[in-house]
Amino acid sequence: MTEFEPKIVSFLCNWCSYGAADLAGVGRMEYPSNIRVIRIPCTGRMSPKFFLSALSEGADAVWVSG
Amino acid sequence: MNLMEHMGIEPGRLQFSWISSAESTKFVDVVKTVTASVKALGPNTTYNKQAVKVA
Amino acid sequence: MSGYQDKIKEVALRLLKDGSVDMVIGFRKGTLPMMNEPCFIRRPEDVHQLVWDSNCGINLANYLTDRKEKIAVVAKGCDSRNIVTHIIENKIKRENLHIIGVPCQGMVDKRRIISEFGDTLLDVADDGENLKIKIHGSEKSLKKTDVLQSNCAACIHRNPVLFDELAGELVPEQAGVDRYAEVNRVEAMSPQEKWQYFEDLLSPCIRCYACRNACPLCYCPTCFVDESRPQWVGKSQDPIDIRTFHFLRAYHCAGRCTDCGACERACPVGIKVRQFTSKLNKDAFEMFGWEAGMTLDERPPLDTYKPNDPNDFIK
Repeated sequence: MTEFEPKIVSFLCNWCSYGAADLAGVGRMEYPSNIRVIRIPCTGRMSPKFFLSALSEGADAVWVSG
Repeated sequence: MNLMEHMGIEPGRLQFSWISSAESTKFVDVVKTVTASVKALGPNTTYNKQAVKVA
Repeated sequence: MSGYQDKIKEVALRLLKDGSVDMVIGFRKGTLPMMNEPCFIRRPEDVHQLVWDSNCGINLANYLTDRKEKIAVVAKGCDSRNIVTHIIENKIKRENLHIIGVPCQGMVDKRRIISEFGDTLLDVADDGENLKIKIHGSEKSLKKTDVLQSNCAACIHRNPVLFDELAGELVPEQAGVDRYAEVNRVEAMSPQEKWQYFEDLLSPCIRCYACRNACPLCYCPTCFVDESRPQWVGKSQDPIDIRTFHFLRAYHCAGRCTDCGACERACPVGIKVRQFTSKLNKDAFEMFGWEAGMTLDERPPLDTYKPNDPNDFIK
């Protein structure tokens, strides 16, 4: 059996972590491809509804980053 | 987050971090640690509709 | 007890007669024993309906949301804290309220009495210390403190925090009660045990939303469970959906819940709904030193920022 590859739903703030992800891309940096990025306008947009529905619909983890 | 853990969802299923838009290296580091910790945790089998259906 | 009742009637009559309020919200006898119902009294001649005993557990703050008229409301400790929360959240104006504070000695858990005596129950009378239970052909006396609602047994805010006049002398607050005994017990479990515990706890849930409707905090025009576009919470009887509902309902009460026990009292299948909110109450108390509804002068922790707010969960 192949190694377990988790699906991690990530909620990234447009101005902080999303920018950092963009910069990482521009810099051609390598990182694991397990994350699925969802851009939110600000971490203040985050709601418990989001991560609960992500998890119940099959995500292995949720990562919220401002 | 405390309530989630209180209700029996494993610690680590929900993670928070703060990264400035200039910190691309920190971003890469955090992605790596988050992925590694979830890998160690294993698949989400409890709070998951699909897992329940398969089982 | 009956002293309270006379005083409530007297105050209600005075206020309605001199026109300083348009209505009085209080309790009247229900059709079944131990089922006092809320009532809105608008005319002085109806004041005689008002009662007060140990079955007035419903939280009357629930009926104040967005009311525009002048209201006198009967409020025990937890009701008054919910009224404070309402005022802070601009759901009611302080100047439109006349609060008749009732120092409370706890409400009885009707479920425990019914499970003991079944359907043969005819009447339950209350003299303050003891309950006189009338069943077919016999009578029994119970000590009230033995059959209190679980939240009342662990209550440390029995006296109203905000009132215009009192219906009786303030009562001594309980000391040395462990409010979080149940929470601590669950906290000590492993994730798997916790999961199983809540699985068992929630298995009878039929999603009637009685807990939501009884709760004075739940006043959103459209509740998240009724949203369909997008639909974040499934509407089915799926155990995950049920859990999500209870989860989100509890989150909406974070830093606002006064532990009045209305949700637990309203649940038709007897789920201990307070398990969720009391964990959040404990967190709010331990992390922010906050108890909801204690003062009008301080904003709740979830809408203020302080540099020393706990943030170790952020990487």
